[in-house]
Amino acid sequence: MNEQDLMQKLETAVTHATPNQLDGILSRCQERKGTVIPMTNNQPKKHWLRYAVAACLSLVLIGAAAGGFLLHQARTVTSVVSLDVNPSIQLQVNSSEKVLQVQALNEEAREVLADMPLEGTHLNVAVNAIVGSLLQHGYLDSISSAILISVEDQDQQRAAKLQQELTDQVGAALLNQQSQASILSQTLTSDQALQDQAAQNNVSLGKAALIQTIRQNGDFTFDQLAALSVEELSQMAKSQASQMPIGRDKALEIAKTHAGLTDAGLTWEVDPELDEVPPHYEVELHLGGQEYEYKIQAYTGEILSNDSRQDDDDDSAAPPTGTTDIGTEKAKSIALEAAGVTASQVQNLRVERDYDDGRLEYEIEFYVGSTEYDYVISGVDGTILQQDVEQEGGSHTTQPSTGSDIGAEKAKSIALAHAGFTASQVQNLKVEKDYDDGQLEYEVEFYAGTTEYDYTISGTDGTILKQDKEEHGGSQTTQPSAGSDIGAEKAQSIALSDAGFTASQVQNLKAEREYDDGRLEYQVEFRVNGTEYEYTISATDGAILEKDIDQD
Amino acid sequence: MQMFSETQPSSQLEALLLQTAAGDREAFASLYDRTSPSVYGLALSYVRSGPDAEDVTQDTFVKVWDNAPAYRPQGKPLAWILTIAKNLALMCLRSREKSTQLPPEDWASLAMDAPAVTPEDRQVLKAALYALPQQEQQILLLHAVSGLKHREIAALLELPLPTVLSKYHRGLKKLKTKLEGDAVYE
Repeated sequence: MNEQDLMQKLETAVTHATPNQLDGILSRCQERKGTVIPMTNNQPKKHWLRYAVAACLSLVLIGAAAGGFLLHQARTVTSVVSLDVNPSIQLQVNSSEKVLQVQALNEEAREVLADMPLEGTHLNVAVNAIVGSLLQHGYLDSISSAILISVEDQDQQRAAKLQQELTDQVGAALLNQQSQASILSQTLTSDQALQDQAAQNNVSLGKAALIQTIRQNGDFTFDQLAALSVEELSQMAKSQASQMPIGRDKALEIAKTHAGLTDAGLTWEVDPELDEVPPHYEVELHLGGQEYEYKIQAYTGEILSNDSRQDDDDDSAAPPTGTTDIGTEKAKSIALEAAGVTASQVQNLRVERDYDDGRLEYEIEFYVGSTEYDYVISGVDGTILQQDVEQEGGSHTTQPSTGSDIGAEKAKSIALAHAGFTASQVQNLKVEKDYDDGQLEYEVEFYAGTTEYDYTISGTDGTILKQDKEEHGGSQTTQPSAGSDIGAEKAQSIALSDAGFTASQVQNLKAEREYDDGRLEYQVEFRVNGTEYEYTISATDGAILEKDIDQD
Repeated sequence: MQMFSETQPSSQLEALLLQTAAGDREAFASLYDRTSPSVYGLALSYVRSGPDAEDVTQDTFVKVWDNAPAYRPQGKPLAWILTIAKNLALMCLRSREKSTQLPPEDWASLAMDAPAVTPEDRQVLKAALYALPQQEQQILLLHAVSGLKHREIAALLELPLPTVLSKYHRGLKKLKTKLEGDAVYE
């Protein structure tokens, strides 16, 4: 019986033994009303979650009357839902809230959507997935970010219902991820002119409607406003702004210039407050433990206030200490290059920027087929600090990933040659590919008669890193090697005396010497009548680390 | 080997979990079908009591239903579910004093008596549940039934990877010896 058979049998047995409790469970699961979100105790307080709902946007309802109804060509489309952060995503939905089409309206949106198969799913599922991806891509991290949810539907009642459901759902997702982004939502009906304008400027219908509202207050061009973030637009709508603000980039530049800082090692956050008096941008710059805070007048660019102090943010937000940051893209490309793949070949790529002991690091994780790659890259100089490659479905699958891999067959033959056997003379020959501290290794294991051989072979050059030979013929033959090793006999006698037996009273007495967690241990096993005793004894001091007594 | 990762890719479970989040009971039922042996097996190995393992399994899935809207897709849906199960199992253990001292005959019999269990299954369950120490049992179950990688098992059980690997191999060896021994003598 090999490992696979055993695992298969165990899986089958447990599956068969599992009681079917589905009915009982379902009876305890409450119907979700719209979205009822359970809040567990450890959730953050929601005071910062700002909802600015449709009413305050007071959007125009354009051409709700005859003709020009949206997307009449796809007659099953009843609603168009758009999500705007900077990525703009539009979902066409039918009357049973099934997603018929997903459109990425800009490059960022394409990245967020990646290959997610959202068509055909329920709207809630799709929105959940998109928000998850937006969060993963860092679009909703800062307090200054906002997501605009727009529902276009000729049936305003249905639109309002959808709007509420989606607002609740997104709110819960953001709350759960401790995102401080705000949510804006609106319902609208639209006409052909607006659709055309939206399409020409690569913005969603939702953002286009918002822009349209603002244009009534002043002399703006559509594309000027299209360049602003949804948060800026909503604040302008709220405050009935009649002129163009300087924009976040300009505000940032003014602050940087004033502080005399360049981009190197600098992190920043720009938060528009266009609906406050006076309207302004809050700019925060972080560099080398120093924080600079600016308030810049939103329309004139005048510095209203500035302040600088020691950064008291926690470790994770600590700026690099006087060094540069290679950036996410560079870190990603280093990892991909090390794995020998291109971005288009990988799935589930995730990048995390992190500070470990004050060092800036990038953690990069991705899949190629069923192989998972994990890299830790220094954010300062791009050095690969750690790497890990793992096959799904167990570590015994072997597949060389880089050119410097001797391969499983070669590792096998090195071990066999060293032990003085050919493959046909041994039993249960097994090879496992493993990464230990980033080093590629092969674990080769086989039996010759009752003797077990274990080898660890370097996967890069075939060196034998570790070898172990163990006799399983009943009596223990492994000899203690170091002075701090109590020896197998002593371990046996410790176990026996603890159990209250002498060696002659027990059967199948065995002691195995092994390293567990780098500690040398003895596994002592014996049977007395139907009872099996198993002890783990520290080889250094004879302490009983674990004992287990099982009745047969 | 028929592993979880081949037969039930995480992406499928993730999709089911997202549909569950949206209130889709059919998707939830399907999620239950695919993952309940993993949850039950893990629960059983912790609480060592058939009835308690059933309770933990039931509570786990109710919690999965309740918390699905809060699940953030990150490719590890099963690990998420099993973490819930583990925490509930540990809570169950804390709420009662003794437990692990019960002989296996008492606590495992319920599982053995399930209608779908064949004589061969019973033999395998006996070997796995009676003959293995708890952690070896958990590691084998998580690998065989849940298809978790050793690294994921290490994370879930909060053990170092080398410990998981050595206990896995040790447990496997014992299970094999036990089953082959039984086959000879029974």
